[in-house]
Amino acid sequence: MKKLLALALALVMLSGLTALAADGGVLTVALSPDFAPMEFIDISKTGDDQYVGFDVTLAKFIAAELGMTLKIKPMSFDACQTAVQVGAVDMSISGYSWTEERAKNFNLSDYYYAGDNETEQVVIVKAEEAGKYSKPEDFAGKVVAAQAASLQYDLVTKQLPQSELKEFKVIDDAVMALMSGKVDAVAVAMGNGESIIANNPAIGMSGFSFEVDEKAENNVVMIQKGNDELLAKVNAALAKAYEQKLYGGWYEEAKALAGIDTAKQVSYTEDGQVAEDQPQ
Amino acid sequence: MSLTTIAENIVKILQNYWQIFLIKGVGITLLLSAITVFFGAIFGSVLAFAKMSRFRIIRLPVSFFIELIRGTPILLQLYIGYFIVPQMLPALGMSDFASISVALIINSSCYMSEVVRSGIQAVDKTQTEAARSLGLNSSQTMLKVVLPQAVKNILPALGNEFIMIIKETSLASTFFIGDLMTSYLVVKGKTYLSLESLIIVGAIYFALTFSLSKLIGGFERKLKTSD
Repeated sequence: MKKLLALALALVMLSGLTALAADGGVLTVALSPDFAPMEFIDISKTGDDQYVGFDVTLAKFIAAELGMTLKIKPMSFDACQTAVQVGAVDMSISGYSWTEERAKNFNLSDYYYAGDNETEQVVIVKAEEAGKYSKPEDFAGKVVAAQAASLQYDLVTKQLPQSELKEFKVIDDAVMALMSGKVDAVAVAMGNGESIIANNPAIGMSGFSFEVDEKAENNVVMIQKGNDELLAKVNAALAKAYEQKLYGGWYEEAKALAGIDTAKQVSYTEDGQVAEDQPQ
Repeated sequence: MSLTTIAENIVKILQNYWQIFLIKGVGITLLLSAITVFFGAIFGSVLAFAKMSRFRIIRLPVSFFIELIRGTPILLQLYIGYFIVPQMLPALGMSDFASISVALIINSSCYMSEVVRSGIQAVDKTQTEAARSLGLNSSQTMLKVVLPQAVKNILPALGNEFIMIIKETSLASTFFIGDLMTSYLVVKGKTYLSLESLIIVGAIYFALTFSLSKLIGGFERKLKTSD
């Protein structure tokens, strides 16, 4: 039995991992639910309902547009990309910014817009230094942290050349480094920074924000390379959501959910719209 | 950041999220570890005997398989278990939890097989010789003479392996399986207080592994009395 399994594994590796997911009207979406307010877990709920946030609402909307049932597959950010690559899921919606490398390896959708908070890229510092930075020169000689392989990493390299860049695998570690004085500042997306400050009174906004080029401003959906049919359908759904001006409302709801744990009960109608708030 | 802030934050997190750590997290970590250790011990013994087999055709591929699994990162094995196996064998309809368990079991049975094998081989050869000259056949010798002594050699290492597995299940959080480390990811994703959440999770892991090692220590003492 062991040998058979080993043999099977060897065969898979040889055959080039081309198995296709046979979906009976189920849209599987991978996301990394540790990134409020884009995707996170509401611990007062169970099953698929526990996944909330802007990207989850978007996933529901896309599934409804495609006439499919949504199945969320939670996994780490790295694993999400692998899942799309090997075809274990149909797509991943996990706050991806457009990058050249990703465009090479995946089918990336048209942009969707989560709101100014996700577009604007800022720098956070210790609370006592809040507001003391306004121009790139103010960061001269300072250690600025950013997540590896992220948009913020590129921004610090290009726009804060006089600062010393320190990479971290996840933002949280960078924030810890900031609190313990190992770095002077952390580059983050505005929405991310606001969530961090809301939970850590010792941290504040530096007052500086990056100039962001249009391509990187918005997020994209990640689909397996070559699946142009699904890409077209997703783009159509995104266009519809944009025309109906749904994004802003979704983002506000996600923020409310992230900030106030279970104070508000948010539900979604069939077409992915946020239903009226009902007090618990 | 001051220690008092950290302590305050820990209290705050525990007040709001204790059930996600102590009920869901601990429950799934223990369940996953117990499943892994149970089946890992069974398959590990099978592999150990296969590796000691007289027949080359059994011995060689098994040795290679054990080396392969022990020599590659467990994260890779989890990826294969989670992504590739369910695609290869869709007929099994394995849940995420099942596919992660299978990957952990395969990994742990390879380590356990080495523990079992070394335990058996550590029993003095004269024991086998004496048993055989008293007229026991080879399987009787193994079951009645060698194995009872081997268990004593194996148990401490097996307990160690159990503790290792409890910590290794934390890698399953890559797929948000619900174990303790997943609780950490969920809470820090929500609160952005990662050090505090990690300290809580660490304390729980320590409580689990420490009580387990005390338990195994007790067993060992019991076995020693027969010496």
